[in-house]
Amino acid sequence: MASITDFSGGHSGRETQWMLHFLISLTIVVVAGGYAVWQIMTLGHAAFNTTNAGIFWGLPIVLYDYFLLTSTGLVMVAAIYHVLGVEAFRPVAKRCLGLALAGLMGGVAVLFLELSNPLMALWATPLNLQTQSPLFWKILLVGAYTVLLAIVLFNSIKQPTVRPNPLVWPLALLALAITLVAGSVYGMMAMRPMWFGGEIPVVFLIESLVGALAFTMFFSHLAHGFRHNRMSDELRWLFEGPLARLFGALIVLHFLLHAGRAVTGWWSNAEGLQVWDHMLSGPLFYIGLGVCTLVPLVLMLLPATRSNGLAQVTSGLLVMIGLFIARYEFIIGGQQVPLFKGSWVQTQLIEYTPSMTEWALLGLGIGIANMVYGFAAWKLGGEDEA
Amino acid sequence: MAKWGMVIDLETCTGCQACTTACAMENSRLPGENWQDVLFYSEGDYPHLNVSWLPRPCMQCENPSCVSVCPTKATFVDEGTGVVLVDWNKCIGCKYCMVACPYGVRFYMDEAPVVEPDVKAAFPGEGRRQVWNPPFRMPDEYADPSKGIGVQPKGVVSKCTFCHHKITQAPEGVADLDEDDPETREFTPACVRVCAPKARFFGDLDNPESNVNRLIADRGGVRLKEETGNRPKVYYLSGGGSPVVPGQRSKRRS
Repeated sequence: MASITDFSGGHSGRETQWMLHFLISLTIVVVAGGYAVWQIMTLGHAAFNTTNAGIFWGLPIVLYDYFLLTSTGLVMVAAIYHVLGVEAFRPVAKRCLGLALAGLMGGVAVLFLELSNPLMALWATPLNLQTQSPLFWKILLVGAYTVLLAIVLFNSIKQPTVRPNPLVWPLALLALAITLVAGSVYGMMAMRPMWFGGEIPVVFLIESLVGALAFTMFFSHLAHGFRHNRMSDELRWLFEGPLARLFGALIVLHFLLHAGRAVTGWWSNAEGLQVWDHMLSGPLFYIGLGVCTLVPLVLMLLPATRSNGLAQVTSGLLVMIGLFIARYEFIIGGQQVPLFKGSWVQTQLIEYTPSMTEWALLGLGIGIANMVYGFAAWKLGGEDEA
Repeated sequence: MAKWGMVIDLETCTGCQACTTACAMENSRLPGENWQDVLFYSEGDYPHLNVSWLPRPCMQCENPSCVSVCPTKATFVDEGTGVVLVDWNKCIGCKYCMVACPYGVRFYMDEAPVVEPDVKAAFPGEGRRQVWNPPFRMPDEYADPSKGIGVQPKGVVSKCTFCHHKITQAPEGVADLDEDDPETREFTPACVRVCAPKARFFGDLDNPESNVNRLIADRGGVRLKEETGNRPKVYYLSGGGSPVVPGQRSKRRS
């Protein structure tokens, strides 16, 4: 496995690691992506378990939003160094930007396979100026964000040492705007009480940041073969000090926002909020909020585990999974109440389980993101040396 | 210009679903994906059971959330009629309008069939986007993809058009489109025309002389989910009270 390749040989060892990372990711892309594309080409959207019965946005949209918000969060983390000038975050600034582009590519690829006419969106959206639509702004902002992120990364490839890049200012503002608009896509839906509320963009912002720190922690360890002692002193100090504390604080905020909405939703008799009853009766909610949130929080709070490499990797991985569960439950849960859908939707809540094709898209998204990241690290010098 | 609206008398409606069938035939709908549907509700336990039903077309809102959310303006309000339409040439299939519609009246073409067997397979279409070719498809001269009229192609969203292809042929200035009036019969929406107990009325809400306005005023017409601010142009008559629409939480599985 790429991650355990010994790169004590120095530069060539690292190259081998990233080459393996790239090749494994490519294999995943070919296998998972090939299956998904084949299914979509032969069955169309019937390959998905989304239906006209009410679950219109399924796992592919969950994946897209997950990758997109991770990407914007990573840019905001990079901005801590580039914009705010916090020197402690310099060792991960380049990695965050590289991961941001990689994640974005994975998410957009999945979205393009979910939309029926994605290329039309590229011209029909800017030309028709439906400024009332959150998606109009989201598409425009993501377009600008992608271009600017690519420019910033291209510049960083030419510079061997990381220096504050003024272009990260507008990039970080775009990332912030996208995150808030992505929350508004759901938060503005007054007809769906599960989603509706001004706090949703803030929830998305917190989740974006906490996810970004989790990815930073996990992939920094991966870059060092999951060997804590191979990290530079400044990187170790970052993970044991400022980043760990920020990570812990954001996990607390995430927990409070999530648990608070769950408790009020569970308590309320309002039509549409019965989804919380349903979610609280299943194990996924407790895995997401309990195991994947509280365990990392404890690991980050205790000084002994905070400075332990394995605990850091575990925390990062658990938060990454927990956020995915939270995003899945949020997006699917908001659609489970039928809303006059039809005489044939004879159920109180619409059930949904992703199809094999949708799961394959998860593999495709992860594969593309890692392929881009691995290739950039292998061939373009897109990784931090620290 | 007319502001077309509909009045549905719940005291007269028998739930026969002739409206659903007529709409499906007129607009080439797939079974189960009904632009015009009748929703049935049951509350309580036998023998203390209440069964009710609600005919549900598109509400053709004056302030439609589906229009506001569409990133490409594929969904729009037709200026001449006030009807909410979908331009299939601009729809990217993002389904945000389906998510944002409080009344569940929108349908995407390319999903697994809601009702088996899949009639699309029995009447396969030609070309990349034409999914099926129903034997009862409307004449080609009525079809207009820029208004979402005709056989719904692959990858776009569709909805009730108030039979736009019929009502736009009505004589200028007419107050109501009534199947009992020989002069307007042909221009009356299919669901209204076939309603056997005459529970449906269709007319110009901007015309103070229209029958629909008289019914709304005299019998206390109400609209569904007023709290959303969508301002539907479909009114229900329910004997003075609000329409009988139990929430999901009070419904029983039937």
